[in-house]
Amino acid sequence: MNGATINLLYFARVAELVGKRTEAWPLEGESTGAQLLAALGERYPQLAPASRLKLAINQTHSKPAAPIRPGDEVAVFEPVTGG
Amino acid sequence: MISVQEADFDSAALTAALRDRAGSGVGGIVTFVGYVRDYAPDSPTDTLYLEHYPGMCERELEEIAATARARWNLDGTVIVHRVGALSRNAQIVFVAAASAHRGDAFRGCEYIIDALKTRAPFWKRETLAGGNSFWVEQRQSDQDRTDAWDDDTSTTKERP
Repeated sequence: MNGATINLLYFARVAELVGKRTEAWPLEGESTGAQLLAALGERYPQLAPASRLKLAINQTHSKPAAPIRPGDEVAVFEPVTGG
Repeated sequence: MISVQEADFDSAALTAALRDRAGSGVGGIVTFVGYVRDYAPDSPTDTLYLEHYPGMCERELEEIAATARARWNLDGTVIVHRVGALSRNAQIVFVAAASAHRGDAFRGCEYIIDALKTRAPFWKRETLAGGNSFWVEQRQSDQDRTDAWDDDTSTTKERP
């Protein structure tokens, strides 16, 4: 264990479902968005009603295959509804 | 010019300021103002709460505006988006595009508001007059409109 983490940010309904807005998440080596979403689903079963979870890595919209590295800022949210 | 703010905005003042910045080559400015409305006819909206992702939100808006300016002959753009608790009929968003030609101004403004609705990290929580509240879901029609711009072939810049 090297103690490496990513900084997870939760928004809107996702933040309500997990009960927090930010979290340091342990990450060993490199992972992908899809792996992170799967791990989040196991940790937070209450996320199940949230549809089509999206990720932004370091403030850029990212696909599930995108790599996530220790130190990254990763936001988790549902499709946006501004305008 | 990009602003994400709680405060209300003055459309006329924003348009006049864009006119001043854009210079004497401007032949027209197209503006769009979005308001809090009743989303369902049988259940009046009481308030709308807008959450956003600070930092990423401004970056996305800058990128959307830059894409519009690269794609059409625009002499300036404005995006103002409000966040926080908004009452029914309140102004939510202002978009403006200035150009020598109306076609570029219309298309630039429409592109920005379409792209904003599917890319800028804002989320709406609606509270109905009866007290029920829920997070608004993204409409497929909004995503379809954004996608259509990628296939649009009528987006060549007008001749100066």
